[in-house]
Amino acid sequence: MEREIHIRPMDLLMAMQCKPGDLATIALVSGQPQRVIMALEKLENPMRNFSAFGYTLWTGEYKGKRVTVGNGGFYAPDSALMTDLLCAAGVEYFLRLGSCGGMREDIQIGDYVLADSALRGDGVTTYYVEDEGFIPSADQGLSDQLAAVFNHEFHRGMVWTTDALLRETKAVVNNAIGKGAIAVDMVTSPLLTIAQMNNRKATAVLVVSDNLITGEMGFASIRVFDAEKRMVDCAFDVIEAIDV
Amino acid sequence: MNALFLQPPMGGWVTFGNHIAINVNHAQLAANLREWYPEIEFSVLDTRALGLNEKQMIDTITEMSPDLIYMGDALQTTGVAAIHPRYKAAASLIKQVLPKTSVCVGGFFYGANSQKMLEETPEFDFIISGETERTMPELAKELSKDDPDIPSVKGLAYRDDGAVKLTGYRSLVENLDDLPLPAYDLFPMDKYIGFTRIKGYVETYHSRGCPNGCLFCVGWTDYDPRGDKDWTRYRIRSGKRVVDELELLEKKFGTKFVVMMDEDFNVRRERMEELIEEKGRRNVELPFFFMGRAPYHLRDKDLLEPLHKVGFVCGLFGMEATDEETLKKIQKDLTVDEVDEAIKLFKKHDIMSFVTWMIGFPDDDEMKIKSRFERLDAIDPDMAALQLMTPLPGIPMYEELQPYIVEHDLQKWDFQHAVIKTKHLSKEDVGRLAAWTNREFYSKPGRVQRILYYKGFHRFCHLIARSYVETAEAHARAAMQDEIFV
Repeated sequence: MEREIHIRPMDLLMAMQCKPGDLATIALVSGQPQRVIMALEKLENPMRNFSAFGYTLWTGEYKGKRVTVGNGGFYAPDSALMTDLLCAAGVEYFLRLGSCGGMREDIQIGDYVLADSALRGDGVTTYYVEDEGFIPSADQGLSDQLAAVFNHEFHRGMVWTTDALLRETKAVVNNAIGKGAIAVDMVTSPLLTIAQMNNRKATAVLVVSDNLITGEMGFASIRVFDAEKRMVDCAFDVIEAIDV
Repeated sequence: MNALFLQPPMGGWVTFGNHIAINVNHAQLAANLREWYPEIEFSVLDTRALGLNEKQMIDTITEMSPDLIYMGDALQTTGVAAIHPRYKAAASLIKQVLPKTSVCVGGFFYGANSQKMLEETPEFDFIISGETERTMPELAKELSKDDPDIPSVKGLAYRDDGAVKLTGYRSLVENLDDLPLPAYDLFPMDKYIGFTRIKGYVETYHSRGCPNGCLFCVGWTDYDPRGDKDWTRYRIRSGKRVVDELELLEKKFGTKFVVMMDEDFNVRRERMEELIEEKGRRNVELPFFFMGRAPYHLRDKDLLEPLHKVGFVCGLFGMEATDEETLKKIQKDLTVDEVDEAIKLFKKHDIMSFVTWMIGFPDDDEMKIKSRFERLDAIDPDMAALQLMTPLPGIPMYEELQPYIVEHDLQKWDFQHAVIKTKHLSKEDVGRLAAWTNREFYSKPGRVQRILYYKGFHRFCHLIARSYVETAEAHARAAMQDEIFV
């Protein structure tokens, strides 16, 4: 191959007929479709302006502000892809609505974890960052705004991102806990890494769906469903507070 | 004569959560007894509503020292046949302290099985055969005499020198408007709660029978098999009289939500029109839920909007199966397309749709059950009530299903446990597939959010949905691990 890189983010956006300015500067991203639908229902005049590979983004208005909502990725590789695309499209603020497993006994199903930083257990960010010790951070100001409007109990700290949900063994989990992680997910690391590399503001709030310490699984628990609904509502309160 | 209507300690359907409803059979019989035989003293003890355990129940009954205790239910939703072990346990305790007190049971399940159940249950003295409305008050009256003539009381299984005998057939009450309204004033109305969270909850029962007479339906067991297919002889309280009852509940008892437990409320269009007109005119705001049939909703599609305006917020209708062969075999007499259309109409009017469906037919295998579920999932009702085939003696399909029965403990005969195998599946397989389909339905992204939060639905609909989502794990334990909830 003679070219430096096969496809740049903007190449892909253009190939999908998505031009700069189509998306808003604020993006509310999630993996699970139900969260996207709940967010979409809050937008006025939403327009679908990106659709490729099974990922769809809509842009509309919320209390006078333009907001893009959609699927920001389920796992680390697709989250990296979507975050890169969104950065190229001009998104300045990323609010990630996700889910995670708690890694402390006191973190209950249906609680929230606010990610301050990410422990990179994923593979995709090694393509972006050479320094193995790099710890991507959430934007402090945006996270503080989220914490301020989030009047429900939440835990704040480092989130370990893994690629291997079914290989969360005692050894690797305790290693992550030893490095300060309080929860595990499959998305936060690439989101924060790529946003930070592009000098964008990003934060992530995650509903606790299971607990690695107690072994409790609540993937279809009403506590999770209720928490997801409140999370979407609170995210829009943050959007209202963002000064753009 | 001092009679007692007793609701003994018991749970309820797992999907209903903490659900403590008035016993509609007791409320009606108490009203009948009071109106027809005012000289007979009686009282009511609802241990579920009062939170009494068995010891507290016995202490209370001992103090009351009644001559006759009646237990019974009209509704399958209380626990299907799983009510029987509870009644039997209560009667056993009662007989230990009050051996001379007569115990009578009746209503659902017993109506078609009075003689057999009395033979099997020495704790009971009488079982009503068929409809209870007139038989129970007449029994109380007869027992109040110095020399009661029990054989003269029609519709009764009794003992004569140890032998169980059955008195003559009791004909049906033809016009329900002839009956007094249920005696709500005698019951602890402030104690009832629906689906864990709905306070001011009341179940009502304004009609009897269903003209369709599906062959699997447990409603048949309310009736004496000596009658002329009595289950199919549909009788009603008029629309006006229904509104009388709703008005009474709203104005006098502060009721907030009514679930009409009629097996088939919307058979007659003129009754629905009268209900709409009367409820609107009298400004009775009470929201309500009723069970009906999809084809009647299609016939009366123009009534859905006015019904919604007068408080119809959620409706249940049966589908049971999705293939023509099974629907024909069980004589369901509808098509899946009709159910689909009714669901769409409900959506249009922001009325929550609730569809019943079944697994455990003799020919069911895993593919058939999952295909049935896929069809249900595709037509996308808001709520689905899965019923595991429960072949009560007295239903027309009993003879066909009887060879497949593998679980004989009636505590599990509540629609939520597997009690039969099929030609291709073990009881355990049936239970596992029940848990699988229920979890699939109540964890589907999008549906869960719709039923829990959609603002077009009444808040009580959200609370019913919440109960079903919340109990999905417990439902799986009932279906797969035989945990008891009734």
